Amino acid sequence: MQAVTITLDGREVSGHSGMTILELARESGIDIPTLCYDPHLTSIGACRICLVENEQTGALVASCVTPIAPGMIINTHSPRVIEHRKNIVKLLLASHPDSCLVCDKGNRCQLRQLASDMGIGLVEFQRIPQMAAIEEVNPFIERDLSKCILCAKCIRACQELVVEGAIDYYQRGFANKPATLNNLPLEDSECTFCGTCVALCPTGALTEKERPYRGTTKTTVQTTCPFCGCGCCISLEVKDNHIVRVSPVEEDAVNPVRNSSGALSPAAGQQGSISNGVNHGTLCVRGSYGCDFIHSPDRLTKPLVKVKDSFTEVSWEQALELIATEFKRIKDEHGPNSLAILGSSKCTNEENYLLQRFARCVLGINNIDNGSRLYSSATRLGLGFSIGFSGTTNYLSNLEQSEVIIVIGADPPASTPIVEYAIKRAVKYKSAKLILIDPRQTKLSSFAHLWLRPKIGTDVALLNSLAKVIIDEGLLDEEFVVRRTDNFKALTKALERYSPEYAETVTGIPNHEIRAAARLYAMASGAAIVYGSGITQYANGTNGVKAISNLALLTGNIGRRGGGIYALQRENNGQGACDMGALPKFLPGYQDVADAQTRRKFEEHWKVSLPANPGLTALEIIEQAKEGKIKGLYIVGENPILSFPHSSLVAEAFASLDFLVVQDMFLTETARLANVILPAASFAEKEGTFTNFEGRVNRVRKAIEPPGESLPDWEIILRLAEKIGSPLPFSSLRQVMDEIEELIPLYEGYTGSERLYQAEPDIRETRRTYMEQFLRGFARFSPVEYIPRAEGAKEDYPFTLLTGTILYHFGTGARSSRASRSKKFLPQAFVEIGESDAKKLGISRSDKVKLISPVAELITAVRITDTLPEGIVFMPISFTESPVNRLFSIVLDPEAKTPSLKACNVRIEKSLSLDACLPVGRGED
Amino acid sequence: MNKANITEYGEVSLARINEIVAEYSQQKWALIPLVQKIQNEFGYIPPQSIPIIAKNLRLFTSQVQGVISFYAQLYTEPRGRRVVRVCRGTACHVRGGKTILKLVKCHLGIEEGQTTPDLEYTLETVACIGVCALAPNMVISDKVCGHMNPKKVEQLFKTPTCHSDPERSEGEESRGE
Repeated sequence: MQAVTITLDGREVSGHSGMTILELARESGIDIPTLCYDPHLTSIGACRICLVENEQTGALVASCVTPIAPGMIINTHSPRVIEHRKNIVKLLLASHPDSCLVCDKGNRCQLRQLASDMGIGLVEFQRIPQMAAIEEVNPFIERDLSKCILCAKCIRACQELVVEGAIDYYQRGFANKPATLNNLPLEDSECTFCGTCVALCPTGALTEKERPYRGTTKTTVQTTCPFCGCGCCISLEVKDNHIVRVSPVEEDAVNPVRNSSGALSPAAGQQGSISNGVNHGTLCVRGSYGCDFIHSPDRLTKPLVKVKDSFTEVSWEQALELIATEFKRIKDEHGPNSLAILGSSKCTNEENYLLQRFARCVLGINNIDNGSRLYSSATRLGLGFSIGFSGTTNYLSNLEQSEVIIVIGADPPASTPIVEYAIKRAVKYKSAKLILIDPRQTKLSSFAHLWLRPKIGTDVALLNSLAKVIIDEGLLDEEFVVRRTDNFKALTKALERYSPEYAETVTGIPNHEIRAAARLYAMASGAAIVYGSGITQYANGTNGVKAISNLALLTGNIGRRGGGIYALQRENNGQGACDMGALPKFLPGYQDVADAQTRRKFEEHWKVSLPANPGLTALEIIEQAKEGKIKGLYIVGENPILSFPHSSLVAEAFASLDFLVVQDMFLTETARLANVILPAASFAEKEGTFTNFEGRVNRVRKAIEPPGESLPDWEIILRLAEKIGSPLPFSSLRQVMDEIEELIPLYEGYTGSERLYQAEPDIRETRRTYMEQFLRGFARFSPVEYIPRAEGAKEDYPFTLLTGTILYHFGTGARSSRASRSKKFLPQAFVEIGESDAKKLGISRSDKVKLISPVAELITAVRITDTLPEGIVFMPISFTESPVNRLFSIVLDPEAKTPSLKACNVRIEKSLSLDACLPVGRGED
Repeated sequence: MNKANITEYGEVSLARINEIVAEYSQQKWALIPLVQKIQNEFGYIPPQSIPIIAKNLRLFTSQVQGVISFYAQLYTEPRGRRVVRVCRGTACHVRGGKTILKLVKCHLGIEEGQTTPDLEYTLETVACIGVCALAPNMVISDKVCGHMNPKKVEQLFKTPTCHSDPERSEGEESRGE
């Protein structure tokens, strides 16, 4: 990279060729004001505020779009520049309403800031007001286009970052404004209310609706979003112990610190501590507008004890004393293995670490599991077994260098929107080709180069067939297979019967499409596979994951730029909880609990003797509780009544317990069955870290005080341990972090110097992708057989019900149903039925239906759609009044012990309920 | 313009739109030639065609709308078979062009910029046609009608839609043929 030297304001500065004047100025500490510039968006030079004078030619050029040339002499604040800038701002103000005093943007308005900086008070130009507000019903975003300055940041954000394209310029001249198709309100367009445009808008044209506070706050805290596995960096604005606004953290990518040769120096990224985040200034509707559950009046504020079927408030002393006594009693009478802990894939890493230490050191059991058992154990086992690494192999930014992306068994637009944005960006702007494998039509279908729609549960057959085509046509990466893998011959033999013709009979996909997909994937120089709960939540999900990893290994796509496997995590800390060892078979860092040497190492550190037998997994705990073998259960941050299958059985199991303790923020359905409820703090009220699905460790910071007497989970665990009589040797969170760093190799230095883990991305990248050597030496091919779904469609239950996430709600809905805006927009559960099926059943859109499965029934509203194949219906999880998981019987994957929660068989009957209400929101067909 | 593509009830033949779009789907920068072709055939760009265009050219629907709304030549509403352009230039103004406009509006029953319900006429005003010697002027489709007077207006449109107007007799007296 050649250095180019220019003279900027009399100083000689150097940058690399291709840089614009603005970028170089910012790097050199010279401030040039802008309105339409943003480091994440392509510069278009719309506002002309950034004009600078080229003293050689006398021309005024827009510095954000003018590249530097050797020998340029630039003046950024000559009298001509200042005069022009003033006029431009005055012209903008002339079309701007005079409502600064009451405008919510207040001190954050960049136009007002500019005017104030330049000393512009009176605007002598003729006022030409713009046509104003559009009436919108959606509870998220308000548009007052009389304040729009046509900087096109919202348009570029919508088209380039989020690739939704809901808005673009409409008409021209004075009538010009950003508008949706047919100039309809946002809720009638493709807008997903991600809030990126609102975060970027420099004036008050785009604002949040129903905001609790008008104006600018003094305190801003950077933390991590508590919802899905993406772990976006957000900033919380705090006023009077109240979170009033959530925005994406602006990454200051234009001002990294470069050394003289232009390379990024290690101090880069020290800007805000969480720059280099995964979300690049975007968020989704949950993160942007769903965090007000923190202030819901339903928050638990005092410990509760059940006395004769109702709860009474008690003090912490009393509650903890009661728990300690009961646990000790159960341990003495029935042995320690009658106790179990269900930990949280939503709590921080430190809390999970403490929880597993509590289990092992205080209670002396290995019966600890966490919520990610429900959707990502197959990943851990499948990938751990084959590539020796139990998670996503690359950072998400690598996806934008992929030539081909396979998305199978995942719906990123609903579950992990940041991944969806990355995929769409790759397809639209980097010419990547998307192979979508999904029986349902989702938002990605229109981006797909190839869209395969297999029959439910036949993914393994399809994947095996793809692998066979690759081997037969000689498209595999021979060097990689020979040098870095093991067991290839066994794989080839096992794949013999999976010809595309056979796969066609099983999956219903034409064999030429299978061949086309295989060729496309194998011949790409870097091809990635993205998968999610559509693979892992089947009764043989581990096989699916192994089949995926076989494909990646065959083509050498592990550890290669543009390649990799992305295992999506549903929740914010599913990855972290497992890394920390909140697992029955593993100590922290995936070290086997059954291995004597490993145990000894930890015993030395922890100064206790550790139980040798692996413990029970989550569903096994339920089964054992029902049989009376588990007597005491401690649940932290989970809601099994709604999230586990067959909730009536789960409720029975809980009823048979001697003692149930639930630690949560809300009085959830599970908490209602508890003997003691401990009020916990939310993510904004404690310190810690979350690990996202990439393996990136993100900081969580305390912004407000927890309400009432609620405490952060880590504090509760420490207090409880002390009460029981075996206190854990930590008096601060810092000490916990230090121990984690010491004992878990993957987390070495993860928070000591905050720069380390993200300022040197190459090191992390290597660690994660094992470019040189796999953890176990060689990667292993694992031949897997296709096993037809045990619960194939029977006569009594002719429909297949698919479950999945929905964008506006999350998880079991405990938090998102208390987020006022999401609740308002999408208040009611529904099941999606295809048009032809609806006609056969005689169902119309205002009807309610009853879904009947072998174990339960459910009544819900109907949405008729054309996105589903015949015989298949879809119902999102996350509605507390209609928990669809109830319909599933408990069938576990033999290896991963994950319950099957993706597809089950149901019968559908029209329900003769008189109060038919339509789902609010949009998308009704 | 091929009126066969629009049925009696104003419904548009989506099949034909799909055909036209398919012709252009491989071309680079195809959007503007494509919408021009659609407009030539249908007389306007049916709003229902925007999603089809967007999908085939891999653009966002709002983007396609943005381009169409920018150009004055592209319309998203059906226009009349014949466009009537009344001149409001200097010479025509001086020679009573305003009255001519009023009469035309009266005869057609529509305002400027609108189209008659039977999709026969669209009324526009223009700044100058360039035949000031024949003022006041009017252009119907491609035919220039100069030396306009109320009688001629009535003959041209042959629609007695407007009731007795005192100005008419005035116009008849003041300007002969």
